[in-house]
Amino acid sequence: MTPEYAYQTVQQTLYVLAPEILLVAVAIVMMTAAPFVRVARKGWCAIAAAALAAGILVLMATRHVDPDVYVATAVNDAMSYYVRLFVLLSGFILLGLAHREPPEDRSAEFFGSFLMIQAGAMLTASANDLILLFVGLELVSIPTYLLLYLSRRTPSTQEAATKYFFLSIFASALLLYGMAFLYGVAGTTNLKALGALAASSIPYFPNASLGILAVVFIMAGLCFRVAAVPLHFYAPDVYQASPLPIAALLAWIPKVVGFVAMIRALTAVLAAREVGDPLVHKVVLLCWIIAAATMTLGNAVALLQSDLKRLLAYSSIAHAGYLMVGITAAFAGGEKGIALYHGAESVLFYLAAYAFMTLGAFGVILALRTRDGRPATTIDDLAGLGWTNRIPALGLTVCLLSLMGFPPLAGFFGKLQIFAAAFSAVDGEEAGSLKLLAIVGMLNAAVGAFYYLRIIVLMYFGTPAEPLVATGGWPVALAAGACASLSVLIGIAPESLSRACRDAAIAANTRPAAAVELPPAVVGSAEPAATQVARD
Amino acid sequence: MATLLAFTVFLPLIGALALVLAPGLDKGAARKIALGTTLATFALCLAFLAGFEPDVTTPQFAAGPDGGPYGWSWLVRPDVRFALGLDGISIWLFVLTGLLMITGVLASWESISERAPLYYAFLLALEAGLLGLFAALDVVLFYIFFEFTLIPLFFIIGLWGGPERKRASIYFFLYTLAGSLLTLLGVIALVVVHMQHTPEHVLTFSIPELTQGLSTLPWDEWYRTDSWTSPQVLIFLLLLAGFAIKVPLFPFHTWLPLAHVEAPTAGSIILAGVLLKLGTYGLIRFNMAMTPLGAQALYPLLAGLCVVGIIYGALAALAQSDMKRLVAYSSVSHMGFIVLGMMAMSDTGLNGSIIQMVNHGLSTGALFACVGVLYDRYHTREMSQLGGMWDKFPLLTFFFIFSAMGSAALPGLNGFVGEFPILTATFAVSPVAASIASLGMILGAFYLLLMIKRVLFGPLVEPGHDGHDHGHGGHAEVAPIGWHEIAALTPLAALILYMGIVPEPFFARIRPAAAEVTQVVAREREAAARVVAGGPAAPSDASVSMLTPATR
Repeated sequence: MTPEYAYQTVQQTLYVLAPEILLVAVAIVMMTAAPFVRVARKGWCAIAAAALAAGILVLMATRHVDPDVYVATAVNDAMSYYVRLFVLLSGFILLGLAHREPPEDRSAEFFGSFLMIQAGAMLTASANDLILLFVGLELVSIPTYLLLYLSRRTPSTQEAATKYFFLSIFASALLLYGMAFLYGVAGTTNLKALGALAASSIPYFPNASLGILAVVFIMAGLCFRVAAVPLHFYAPDVYQASPLPIAALLAWIPKVVGFVAMIRALTAVLAAREVGDPLVHKVVLLCWIIAAATMTLGNAVALLQSDLKRLLAYSSIAHAGYLMVGITAAFAGGEKGIALYHGAESVLFYLAAYAFMTLGAFGVILALRTRDGRPATTIDDLAGLGWTNRIPALGLTVCLLSLMGFPPLAGFFGKLQIFAAAFSAVDGEEAGSLKLLAIVGMLNAAVGAFYYLRIIVLMYFGTPAEPLVATGGWPVALAAGACASLSVLIGIAPESLSRACRDAAIAANTRPAAAVELPPAVVGSAEPAATQVARD
Repeated sequence: MATLLAFTVFLPLIGALALVLAPGLDKGAARKIALGTTLATFALCLAFLAGFEPDVTTPQFAAGPDGGPYGWSWLVRPDVRFALGLDGISIWLFVLTGLLMITGVLASWESISERAPLYYAFLLALEAGLLGLFAALDVVLFYIFFEFTLIPLFFIIGLWGGPERKRASIYFFLYTLAGSLLTLLGVIALVVVHMQHTPEHVLTFSIPELTQGLSTLPWDEWYRTDSWTSPQVLIFLLLLAGFAIKVPLFPFHTWLPLAHVEAPTAGSIILAGVLLKLGTYGLIRFNMAMTPLGAQALYPLLAGLCVVGIIYGALAALAQSDMKRLVAYSSVSHMGFIVLGMMAMSDTGLNGSIIQMVNHGLSTGALFACVGVLYDRYHTREMSQLGGMWDKFPLLTFFFIFSAMGSAALPGLNGFVGEFPILTATFAVSPVAASIASLGMILGAFYLLLMIKRVLFGPLVEPGHDGHDHGHGGHAEVAPIGWHEIAALTPLAALILYMGIVPEPFFARIRPAAAEVTQVVAREREAAARVVAGGPAAPSDASVSMLTPATR
């Protein structure tokens, strides 16, 4: 590598990361300036929104910068582009939900942290290096601690922040440990190179016994982020104790970050391996168990909840379980399970659908308050809502039906893709267990329908206890309305989102042809490692 | 015609939107809009019936070339299409939906006053879902309509139902949803199997293409057909989960009486008349046509469930004192006949099943409408509180007895036309099942006659007559049967008679499509019988064939 080439690569990487850099820069300026200038909360919120908009423009402007993937730490493939675009767009929704949340004097720090979280999520999507991936994940976590504590300094938020802080640190340590193993067996931190190594036939990578250690620890660290069993237990407590906009953020950002990281660091790396490979076989088993346990636990416990935030927390755990089914399919199918739906593709689609339906539900609940300003906290508070507040109730119904997986809403196509991916991932002997997982998933969806339906029944067939009024102003209304309408719209016309997800999945699983140019010493017995994923 | 078909499906939805969005509609205007929309839709249905060519077996009125792909592209990859079309299996159910919806609107004419626009909007949305389902040629589209029908009926039961309506609506919704999610998996499995094993690895969601493609797969070479490892058995069971609940087959029927009793009259009419047919229609479309070997392997189990359902439903009906509950259990019994007929997998049985679906829709719809007329006046459905209605409502008595006789399969009325071929076909396959099922027919006549005797004959008994009359006259002010009730019942009664006397025009349209299905079934079974030594051979002409010499 010549110095010029290195310089060029660094330059291109910086271009690729320009949107993240911009967001972090704005956040730093906001936080630094806050003690010296007096700007109203509205102003800080507007600055954050402007930064997001500028981020989208920069992202689009740098669309065609493509650094060498075996050198650069960041990639700009379809997955990186679409996920970052989606995170930025969902940022507006979150901003709408949170625009009144922080007190005036701490709003600069609040919105600054929010921008950093956005940047971290985007960084994860574009990372092509284990280290940058970890930086991205931490850039999400650390400002989240701040957010949890900044908006309200009550004992309950204190508890939530402390709980989240310690567990998150613990999860990060696990993740880092797993990444160390991965580096140890491969000798490189570049994810595309790792994938190319896995595709080649060198005997020592992925080593089945060390490889499984790496995968288990990385999986454990990410399971915390996505709230999957066995590291799910913090979610209900933290959601309940934190204010609603923060709970909405926690239900969405860590999930997208965690699953995108799983695709980047695990499924895409092992994509070249068949399910017959001993390592992949074990990983599929691991994911199978996590998926089945997460779905079942989330749905079963959600049945017992009457607190809205706890219910949504367990619902988000259940959805993490469905998403894990997609991850299992992605592992099992490798590059071949692409004909109907690829596992990674279905995960990305489901994430998008999940964003709208969950954020929409949070948004409506956030807006509803009793006349004396008490927020709606239990499902009984929503009784009779269908006749007192028609539009919010309709929006919430749409989001709940979508969460239920009811056609033709976004959630239906998400579930269809996930389970179709599980069904078509492999054929032969391994297929049975994946089909069984799909059946378990469907039964879970049926159980899950009950607690969503219970809310709908209360809203329309119940008698109102205490009249609620929709508050929150136009940003909340706009955000929740956009979520509900997009849930319908994606259900009716899923084509464009589906295509973006497919492009992203193909891009994530493709190794460029340059893989064959690795030094023979590394590649070992030469077998063309570059397997281009068939487009159809 | 293709565009018109799509328009017909969405026309009720347009009416529903108009009802919801128009401000300040009162009961009178709302029901007029609803009646107008259902009449217009029915007129379009009749236009399709008139244009339907009996001998064409490919879907008719579908957009696109004759051999497919039909419809308009909806999702490019995988190729999910918005494809609508009608064939011999669906055309009569399509028309039946249009007709029963008018009955439904007329049956609600006076009885629904609270939130009337919303009520009729849900009724029309339900119609759109049902029409779309019967016309769907794409499995995803089929599934979407299948699920979509849940929502309107859920609200109709939950908002305008009886005292237990909340429980009934939840029960109905969850039970059906749980089954249909498994059906979705079965459908996905069909698509995946088709994709993985056809020579060109075609990924298609089109129902006609799947039916053809799956029948050419070498199922028999992979597995023994009569073992539980056969892939068709697993897929069959997944598909069955949703349809068996919808039908409902015997152990899955528990939601039905509850939903019927709590639903308003129109809800019951549509539920029994059309919604239950979604199950049997799905069974023919998917279970019979796409996984016949699974049906063959599971025949003893399914026939057993049907027979138990027939007898159990009849006995349960016999024990009821509530008229609606009685008719609901009689549905369990009659739907058992329909499934039993198709399970025989012969032309005769399938023809009988399909026509019996229409018959059951007409006669049960009429029975529920009659019960509704009495309920509107006396607010009770208890047979012990009613009696001697003959004197009070002679016309209603006529309709009541007429539809009960149709339901009891009196020769000359429509029920006989359906149940006779079903029993004939079943006898060819399993004489035991046929014999026990015939017993169900006798019981059927028994409980229906018993209901007629108690409610219509004898001395006049009216609730509120015996002592606790609340001063507002009770029976003295009971309204006579109104024009809308006569208008609701007359077409049904006419069709009950017409189908009983002249069934040929109905069979003529069903026969070619049914033959198509049985051919697929026979082909797979013969191939399987060749491979599996000693496997049960397909009874080709053992049964009395319904084929005319021309089509034979």
